Order: sequence, then C-alpha cells, then structure tokens
Amino acid sequence: INVCTQRSTRYVSAISAARGLHKSALDAAERPTPEETVTSSFGRFIQSVQPRHLSPTVLQRSKRMVLDSIGVGLLGSTTDVFELALQHCQHMYAPDDVSFVYGRQGMKLSPTLAAFVNGVAAHSMDFDDTWHPATHPSGAVLPALLAISDMLHNNSKPSGLDFLTAFNVGIEIQGRLMRFSNEAQNIPKRFHPPSVVGTLGSAAACACLLSLDRSQCSNALAIAASLAGAPMANAATQSKPLHIGNASRLGLEAALLASRGLEASPLVLDAVPGVAGFSAFYEDYAPHPISSLEEDEHSFLIEMQDIAFKRFPAHLGMHWIADAAAVVHKTLIGLKGGSISPNLVQDILLRVPLSKYINRPFPETEHQARHSFQFNACTALLDGEVTVQSFQPEALLRPELHALLSRVRLEHPHDNPANFNIMYGEVEVTLVSGDVLRGRCDTFYGHWRNPLSQESLQKKFCSNAGAVLSNERVERLIEAVEGLDHLDDCKPVLAQLQ
Amino acid sequence: MMLNFGAAVSSLNTSHLTDEVIRRSKRMILDTLGVGLLGTSTPVFNTVLQCSQRQQALEDSKVWGRPGLSLPPQYAAFVNGVAVHSMDFDDTWHPATHPSGAVLPAVLALAETLPVKPSGLELLLAFNVGIEVQGRLLRFSKEAHNIPKRFHPPAVVGVMGSVAATAKLLGLSAAQSIAALAIACSSAGAPMANAATQTKPLHMGNAARGGLEATQLALLSLEGNTQILDLESGFGAFYPDYVPHPLAEVTPTSHYRWVLEDQNIAQKRFPAHLGMHWVADAAIEARAKFLDKCPNADLSQIKKITLRVPTSRYVDCPLPVSEHQARHSFQFNCCTALLDGEVTVESFSKSQMNRSALKEMLLKVQLENPQDNHSSFEKMYCEIAVETTQGEMFTARCNTFYGHWRKPLSHEDLVRKFRANASTVLRAEVVEGIIYTVDHLDTNQDCSMLWSYMHFNNTFE
Repeated sequence: INVCTQRSTRYVSAISAARGLHKSALDAAERPTPEETVTSSFGRFIQSVQPRHLSPTVLQRSKRMVLDSIGVGLLGSTTDVFELALQHCQHMYAPDDVSFVYGRQGMKLSPTLAAFVNGVAAHSMDFDDTWHPATHPSGAVLPALLAISDMLHNNSKPSGLDFLTAFNVGIEIQGRLMRFSNEAQNIPKRFHPPSVVGTLGSAAACACLLSLDRSQCSNALAIAASLAGAPMANAATQSKPLHIGNASRLGLEAALLASRGLEASPLVLDAVPGVAGFSAFYEDYAPHPISSLEEDEHSFLIEMQDIAFKRFPAHLGMHWIADAAAVVHKTLIGLKGGSISPNLVQDILLRVPLSKYINRPFPETEHQARHSFQFNACTALLDGEVTVQSFQPEALLRPELHALLSRVRLEHPHDNPANFNIMYGEVEVTLVSGDVLRGRCDTFYGHWRNPLSQESLQKKFCSNAGAVLSNERVERLIEAVEGLDHLDDCKPVLAQLQ
Repeated sequence: MMLNFGAAVSSLNTSHLTDEVIRRSKRMILDTLGVGLLGTSTPVFNTVLQCSQRQQALEDSKVWGRPGLSLPPQYAAFVNGVAVHSMDFDDTWHPATHPSGAVLPAVLALAETLPVKPSGLELLLAFNVGIEVQGRLLRFSKEAHNIPKRFHPPAVVGVMGSVAATAKLLGLSAAQSIAALAIACSSAGAPMANAATQTKPLHMGNAARGGLEATQLALLSLEGNTQILDLESGFGAFYPDYVPHPLAEVTPTSHYRWVLEDQNIAQKRFPAHLGMHWVADAAIEARAKFLDKCPNADLSQIKKITLRVPTSRYVDCPLPVSEHQARHSFQFNCCTALLDGEVTVESFSKSQMNRSALKEMLLKVQLENPQDNHSSFEKMYCEIAVETTQGEMFTARCNTFYGHWRKPLSHEDLVRKFRANASTVLRAEVVEGIIYTVDHLDTNQDCSMLWSYMHFNNTFE
C-alpha cells in the first residue's frame, strides 16, 4: 500500500497492513491532497486571477454592470426600505465609519454596514441586473467592494483594473456555483439565489481585492456558506432587498474573518455524502473544479453569457409581458386613437410560465406589483410602457387599472417554462367589439439576447442617479466608470459617491 | 399558523411558567453562562471579537470575559454566542439542537440596553419562549429527529428562538412578532460541512445576532412574509418533509404545556459532540473491567478496539488533527477515555492530543455500524469491545450516558461544572455571585448584576 504523507509512514511501519484492521486510518492518511478538491480550486482561482485575464468583452460588459448597479443603488436610496435599513445601522457607529452611503452625502458607516445598506438600495426596487442561471449578481458584489475601497488608505486605493478584477471574480464565482445544479436553471422555489450564491460571490470578490492567500480565499468561501441561504417566501415582501444587502455584508465579513485566520470546511464546495456543504441548498448538486488560469483554459462566464438590464423596476418576467402588451397598446391606439378605455376590453388573456410568486391578480403593495404578470400587462396596455412611476401608490390605485385587472386570466402553455432563457410572453385582448388583438414577446429589449445599447444604459443611469445627484456628478460618474480600466486608482468613482 | 405563533409569543406571560420549567431553565442558564465564560479564552472568540470591534453604538452591551469592552447588542450577542458554542460544551436537546446558546446571549444583551430592566421572571419568560419556539419548530419535521446531514440545526431553529425570545422581552405585538419571525427566517440556515471546523461556533453567534436584529427591524416596521412558517418556500425550505401545525391557544389564565416540561435537556460533562459521551462512558466502564482484572496492566497491551456506534460521517474521524476534529471523533474520545479514565476540557489540548500512546491506540480502533444503532440522540447506544494481546476481551455498553436527559446531571455536578468553567476566568466571589443570582432568578427583581458579573476577568486585573 502506498502511503503519501510523511506523518502516516511512521504508523504504517508499526502495523501489519495485511490484517486490514486499520483501513479507516489508512484511508484517512490517503485522503486526496487539497489541490484536488473543488473548494481549493476555487480558492486558487480567486487568489491567482490577474487583470490581464480580463478580455475586452469581459471588461466592457462588467463596466456596464458597474454603471447600472450604481445608478440603481442611487435611485434605491429614495425607498422606504432603504431608510429603514439605514436607521437600523445608524444605531451603530464605529471608529472607522469610513464608507459612503448611496444618496446620503457626507454620511458614513462602517464598511460592513455600508455594504449592507447599499446592497439593500441596489435591490430595493427590483431594478438591478439579472443573469442566467437566475440571480442578481452585481448588487451582492459591488457594494462590498466599494465599501472596502473607502476603507483602504488614501495611498493604497485599488487601481481601476484591480477593482474590475475583483468585481469579475465575484460575478464569475456566482456563475460557476449556479452551474453546479440543474435546479438552478429554473425560476427558484426554495432559496432566493442572491442569498445563496451572492454571499459567496461577495466573499470571493472581497478576498480578491484584499489580496488574501489561497487558503484564506477558500476559507472565506466556506465561512460565507454558513451565512448563505434565505427562503423564497420573503421575496416579494419588503424583506427581499435585505437578501442582497446581507449577501454583500456577510460576504465581506467572511473575507475579513478569513483574513484574521478563521478556518472553515476545506470541502465546503465539494460533494461529500452524508455531510452537506454548499450542496445543502440544492437537491441536485454536481460540482467541478474551476479550470486553471495558467494553462489559459479559463474564460469568464460573462463572456459567454451576457446579462440582462431592466428597463423598469420589476421582476424580470414582467419585461416580456410588458413588451407584448405594449404591442397591443400600440395597435389599440392605432385603431381607436387617444387613450385606452377599459370599457373597450372584454377579456385579457396572458400566456406566461407557471410561477406562483409572480402570479398576483390584485397586488396591494408596490412589492407585489413588481411581481405580478397581471399588473405589468395592464399597466403596459394602459400606458404603452411600464416605468419607475408605474409603481407609485397613486398609479397602483387607478380605477382604470383595476377595471382591466379584473378582466385578466392566465394560461400556462407547456412550451413556456419558467426559465429566463426560454420563456416568452403573449397578450391576447378580446375587445367588446369582437376584435382580438395579439402581442408576443420572445426577447425583451434589455435581455441578454437583445442588450440595451450604451445610450439606453446611460439614459437609465442618468434617470436613476439624477434622482439624488447633481448633473455634474452624474456625468463624472459615467466618465469615471467608462474609463475604469485606465484609472490608476478608483478615487474618481468614489469621490462622486461620497 | 403565523397568526397563531405570533399570538402565542406575545400572549405568553410569567404566570404560564411552571415550577418544573423554571427549575430546568435555570439549570440551562447556569450551564450556558459557565460554558460561555470558558469559551472566551478560545482563539475563535478572539477572532470574532476583533472583527466585531469595528462596530460601536450609543447603547452597548457587555462582552463576556472582557472588562471594559462593549459592543452594539447584536454584536455582543454574536460574540457571546460564539463563546457559548466555541468548545461544543453547551446543552443539547431532542430533537437535536443546542437551544440555549442562541437565546441567552441575545436576551442578556438586549436586557442590558433597556431603560427599564426586566425582572428575573421576565428574563426567564423570554428565555423559555425562545426555547419553546425551537422545540415546536423541530417537531415540524421527522428528519429533524436524526443526527443532521444538511443544515446545522442551531442555524435553522436557533435564530427563530432568538427572535422569539427578544420579541417577547420587548413586548412586541402579535403582528410585530409575526414580522420578526419572518425576517429572522431569512437569516436561518448554515450547512453541516462547517460543523467540526472552527466556523461552527459562528452558527450559534449568528443565530443569536440574527434573531435580535430581526426583532429590531420588526420594531422599525419592516415586514416579511406573514405565512413564513406555513410555506414550503418559507421555513419549509430547510426541510424535505415539513409539516407545520399551530401552537396551542394561549389565554392569560390558561395552563401552557411547555416542550421543556415533556422533554428535558442534556448537559455535557466534557466539551465534545454529544455522541462522544456514550463512547466515553462505555470506554470508561470497559477500562474499569480491564484494570479490575489486571490491576497493573499496561494499556498498550490492548490489541484491538471495536466500537459499535451509529453511522455518522461527521463524527467518524480516525486521526483528528485539530481540536475541533477531536471533539467530533468517536475514535479520539474512546482512546482518551481508555487511557485516562475520563475525558475533560484538558483532553483536547495540543499536548494531550499529541501523546504518542494516544496516537498509537487510535490506530487500533475499528468502527462498526450495527443496523439497530440509530443516528438519533434518543435511541443510540455505544458498545465497546477491547481485545488484549493476551487474548482477553472486555466489553461494555452505554445506553444512556450521565448527563443525558434520561439521566440528568445532579445539581451538585451541574454547579461543579459551572465552577470549573467559570473559575478559569472569574474570581471565586464572582463565580458564587452568578450561582446565587441564577438560583434566585425567579424571585429577583433586579438581575442587572448578571451581565456585570459576566464582564469580569481575573487575568485582566
């Protein structure tokens, strides 16, 4: 029997292997060296990735994500839930309350709490980016990285490229983890994905920016696993944004704990029968190591799978039905002219995927409205589009809207699965006159198959950021993020957010 | 369901506490404080303390064993919770979880910040609400009855216990209690793989912290899903077989049947996973038989040791390297008990772990997993068979170790454990002060000296 480690050689000589009495002890000695585990391959990746590994496409796409995420966060700082989370954190101050808070000029919190509130802001209106398999990757990562950047001394702020590298590590890790489960391909049922992969993504990104060594990087991921996982039932409630806020905060905490030497399971990402690690969050879990950067085998997932940016603040599924309804609206205007009267409409049929949590016939709160096929379809039918303002209390209570809502029914065709890569939205409006108007959307504008143009993305940013920042700052931010990969340090971005 | 839980949490009052519940919960509180004090000397406690120190607040709560150091209440709950579970020395219940460590640190940290301090009885009530909610939730799943495989129970039910207890202490309305329970649920759950690592105690600390934070957020009017305990996509996400049922109705004058009354708790004699206690007791008995027969025997005469134990991957560790692994190793605890006639706090120190006699004996251990030995703290047993080079065989079996809920520690032994733990950190007068205060908790109007006592440390004086 070959025994690899030095420690066990002494024992083997003292016993007879043939008796097989000590098989379990020998098995332990022959356990694979760390380099072979999935967990350690992730630790290695995080530690060894360099700016030069970022291709132009990756750079371009991730800068777009950074810009969108900041804008969405700034707008989100005007929400009630943000104010609530902020009040909660303000009961705590710190000797190093150094990190900025979105939309609160001059206010500082400690880095982890800043990551928390800014993460809440990013997801507060469900306006942030969505990827495939489904999660909202940027909101979990960016706030923590910005908070760390504020924390670092003025003379040692990360360069723009270092920042982008860490950001991409955070995104990449999330993408890799989601590919360990087929279950992750569909609209989730048990755990809210940002709370599962987002926490580890944040930990990875922070570990990278803090230049932790490879074993610390692995430990950061493992510690983060113990902080991951929030049930879906709290999505479409006011608590949902806290899932992203906590993912960002707790990922940062995990990295900080790892930097101080805390250790956790070295097999957390591996599939160990009888003892669940990260696999605890999935029914079907099949992990594989991340390929080596040295042999040029690795390419970032964002390169192969682009991201969706939302045009209005609601669940991604709403975008298909809104675009389909907008087609019908246009036709109706063409037919009847002027504005749409509900009296013209006899019946509204929506053909959408089956998903309990976005099927809400009569939403009562803003959060519910953002997760209602019916609401978004009727809003788009009435107004021709869905916007930030569509979810204001006054808009929610419109009698014309209610009239339309009561005429909606849903169908769930077999060819329309709850999957952001495959689904479609169809709207069929039967008028009182007997005419039937149809609209269909296979790929909404903003989906990864039909990405927002740079102009559209910047327009969204201006509208969002402009809610709380001066035009000058808005312009400077666009410029700074656009040139992020050329900045010697990221102060130009941070300065506009302080 | 939620309406019912929320109503129960807010309606339970001190008159519902029975004598037995008061007696048992005072024992739990004493044991938890002692274990927590001992835990303040561990590296993991120091790590989380350093990380938490970047937070301060206008109203801070005392860190145990660190005179002069205070943190915002949720961070005090966090680090103190880590201390309690840092050595796996805290109490264990059935179905399996470590209930007190998630609740007590949060309750004490919160109590300290209140302008009007709660009476001892109010503290006991909050504590028991926290324990009760955990017990009820564990009974919603059959899977919960076995040694866990996916999620570490303190991280699942512990945070719900902490939120219930702190909501009780703050007198939240039924509606606010529901919101708090829902918010807490989003902080629940940590995978088992991190148990038997240095991160495990953080599961406890985070449960305490998360529950308190959820209560604070609910007070600020944050809302979650009001059906959180009813839904498979809610608390049910943590269990494959989730069948919730409502709590009994609570009226101001009704009798309430607490889970703690029907199901007592286990308190450990040494800091290791509960399963190790069966092994230790069986090994001690076999050793006694061996030495009885051969008074001057040399234990190296042992040729082979067979342990018949339940299947449990995460406490099957033939050659533990770290202290944490040793606390989760059938083999290690068996050999320590055979060599020394006992397992103690000291058994897990580096010097004891590195003994060559111990390492040699570890190689002689073989595990068997009989079919009738279930992975359940209610049903498991341990059988040991020691074979010597002379061909003799000594066997012993332990069905119920001393300290198990079927055979609880005597009051003297419980207090002895507390004294041994607390004395590593506190002077004798302070140790006795805590014993006295906890003993009189139900009659004391002012218990603020409890957290003051926990704030001392004789090595800092």
